[in-house]
Amino acid sequence: MLRKELIQLHMDCKDSQEVIRKLAESFVKCGAVRESFVDAVLEREKNYPTGLPAVAYDIAIPHTASKHVIEPAMAVGILNKPVEFHQMGSPEIILHPQVVFMLAISDPKEQLTLLRRIMKLLQNKKLLDDVKSAETPDQVYDLLHPAVDA
Amino acid sequence: MTPIKILSVCGSGVVTSSMIANKLKDMFAEKGYDAETVEANSSEVEGYCTREHFDLIAYASPIGDSCGVPAFNAIGLITGMGEDEFMEEAIAALHKAGK
Repeated sequence: MLRKELIQLHMDCKDSQEVIRKLAESFVKCGAVRESFVDAVLEREKNYPTGLPAVAYDIAIPHTASKHVIEPAMAVGILNKPVEFHQMGSPEIILHPQVVFMLAISDPKEQLTLLRRIMKLLQNKKLLDDVKSAETPDQVYDLLHPAVDA
Repeated sequence: MTPIKILSVCGSGVVTSSMIANKLKDMFAEKGYDAETVEANSSEVEGYCTREHFDLIAYASPIGDSCGVPAFNAIGLITGMGEDEFMEEAIAALHKAGK
């Protein structure tokens, strides 16, 4: 699920679209999704935003329909500066995530355990804080791998 | 265990609604309810509600008309903040309906 090549640190992005595009393109590059995934995630975010006021800080979990996904994967993007995302369920609220988890889910029924783990991760303040202060993709991987893939 | 049926709604009707549906099953089991969940996207809500009976709607994307079914914002179930409030309100609505 989690792959080192899908972890990007010190991202310099001017808005949420740029973050989404960069992370989504990394999925395409490693073969986890179809090329249609990039535009599909951008489009979905516009209509159904995925910003969340998580326990540690604001995050976003951009994703899209399973038909664009080849195999399940998760990308982590840590930005130099927060960008604006709208809140899931309440699009009038603007959040400022600096950490973005992009999800590629090919079969939610089959990947229930995985979805449970991701939810646990989103509620783990200590882990989220550690992820934000990590300095290398290896560090992020070592922190998240036991929580997501174990 | 009292059987109940919940419509779990999100933007694509896939990822977020599945996360919420999982959580709902666990939380309602602790309270003595056997929750059956159906995942849907926002535009499917009206159709589902006219075809089937639901006791509750839990949504992560704004929904239009909930056809009289008690509907609650379920974002707190994903973030882990506001779970207790969600359950209090949801269970109050179930009690009101005699469940």
